Amino acid sequence: MKRFLAALILVSALGGCASLVQKAGDRFAENLGKAVLDSEDPATVRDGLPAYLLLIDSLIIDQKPGDAGNAPLLLAAAKLNGAYAGNFTGDDKPRAQRMARKALDYARRATCLQDKALCESLGRDPEQFSAVVQGNNNAVLMYALAASWAGYLQSNSEDWEAIADLPRIEALLLRAVALDPKLDGGQAYVYLGVLNSLRPEAVGGKPKQGRAYFEQAIGQSAGKNLYAKTLMAEYYARLVFDQELHDRLLNDVLAADPKAPGFTLINTLAQERAVKLLESGKEYF
Amino acid sequence: MSTIFRCVMVLAFVFAATTAMAQQTIKLATVAPDGSGWMRELRAAAAEVQVQSQGRVTVKFFPGGVMGSDAVVLRKIRLGQLQGGALTGSDLDGICRDAPVYSLPFLFNNQAEVDAVRKVVDPMLTECFQKGGMRMLGLAGGGFAYLMSTHALNSRDDLRSSKVWVPANDRVGEMTFKNGGITTIPLPLADVFTSLQTGLVDTVANTTSGAVILQWHGKIKYMVDLPLSYIPAYVLVDEKAYAKLAPADQAILLRSFNAAMNRIDAANRRENVQALAAIKKGGTQVLTPSPTEATRWREIGVTTTRQLDKANTFTPAVMANIHRILATQRGGK
Repeated sequence: MKRFLAALILVSALGGCASLVQKAGDRFAENLGKAVLDSEDPATVRDGLPAYLLLIDSLIIDQKPGDAGNAPLLLAAAKLNGAYAGNFTGDDKPRAQRMARKALDYARRATCLQDKALCESLGRDPEQFSAVVQGNNNAVLMYALAASWAGYLQSNSEDWEAIADLPRIEALLLRAVALDPKLDGGQAYVYLGVLNSLRPEAVGGKPKQGRAYFEQAIGQSAGKNLYAKTLMAEYYARLVFDQELHDRLLNDVLAADPKAPGFTLINTLAQERAVKLLESGKEYF
Repeated sequence: MSTIFRCVMVLAFVFAATTAMAQQTIKLATVAPDGSGWMRELRAAAAEVQVQSQGRVTVKFFPGGVMGSDAVVLRKIRLGQLQGGALTGSDLDGICRDAPVYSLPFLFNNQAEVDAVRKVVDPMLTECFQKGGMRMLGLAGGGFAYLMSTHALNSRDDLRSSKVWVPANDRVGEMTFKNGGITTIPLPLADVFTSLQTGLVDTVANTTSGAVILQWHGKIKYMVDLPLSYIPAYVLVDEKAYAKLAPADQAILLRSFNAAMNRIDAANRRENVQALAAIKKGGTQVLTPSPTEATRWREIGVTTTRQLDKANTFTPAVMANIHRILATQRGGK
């Protein structure tokens, strides 16, 4: 970290230009994200990432207020904080909630810097919000906002205001994948798969649609995204009570090589989760 | 020889009886999805039963409506494929004719009235279900259903030009709206979300938390602040399956599930308040009817209840208790 700070200071001193520092910060956050995703040791990420999250916070503090160029670092920070909240906070719910809140705040700040119309629609009713989203073409921004929002909802599943925002998250994801189906290696479809596998068909849910989204995610990643299969088992197969599918998906995950660029960490986590799901599935089904 | 034979027979019988009581699995179906607050509490009760009965009783769930509608679940219970369920539908009146009594239109004005009535009438419902062959392990109120619409419902007459949903097979619901001169569109719950989106219906009734969970709130712009109907859910177990349990295990099952349903009841009260705040924040307007208009709404309820009373739909003693307690609650009027 010292070396990185030194490098930043060096860049700053040499360039004497804030935009250079900004670009270096963006590049650092982006590369850190890649390194995290390619890690095959979740414990290292769990223990090591918090220090870098603080570092990124410090870079954000240093940003010139109101500059649209601040958005990439804010979005990278949102992604990393959200990922940490969702995967590495264990049973510490208040910690997960704090970090997920921070991730959503960063994503909202980035939204307001990059897209005034989307920013203003955040406070409007769900239908007005959806109308603005339908006219938006920034798939990356909408996806990043939706992912942070979904993470916030996951950490605050007893907060009715958060639950009530679910249609907004879905609207963002649907528009984002309509613009770019390959977004984040198909990961956007995983979110859609989960959201559509929460309500049973008997009360108006669309689990078949959920399954189709999971299959899209698997297809978009050419089968490399093992987390898509694990979550398909956990949410879809359990919702429709399909034990054969549940166990087959999880056994596939366990038999696969987790190493894949951009997916190694989540695949490793997917395998850990698959073991637990197979075990708890014996009681569930 | 005959004494030995008798001993052997008695031992065999005792052994068979012990084996029969050794392990019982109670399969319960519910439409609540796994991971919901309801299922967390029901699973906690099942875990408690497993531990306290030392493994003699296992409760297994089929959540998310995978076993079908309430009517299908009841059929499967009769066939012995299931032993019970957490059920809400009006289909329960085939087992206990008083099952839908709490949901009579505009019966209650507030939660305090519900609490006072339930203290007396819940045990009567337990008895009623038992006579129908089902043991009631617990009852949880889902809260009050309110009229919700995509357009303003400033008066009862506004409903006449609305496309009003009633649950399929909800005889009391249909009768209520008919008494108000309102045409209804009966649909299964599963179709309401899509029907709100396509405009097939524009007016529905639900609890505030129900509207958010089912994602109807995105379409709802107005809510009439007058409790239309109280929504109870029952956990019922087939008497035949219940009778197979040892008395101590029956007590454990009753105690654990009753406590779980009480926790669910308490949580629902909190959640409905939070859900109302959330839908108001999302832009839904809460319309408070004037006292005159509220009386006009309630007249529909009074007419419906009188018709049902006249037709002897519910046990007279149950209705007499409800009327008496409500009169006391309302200052003896």
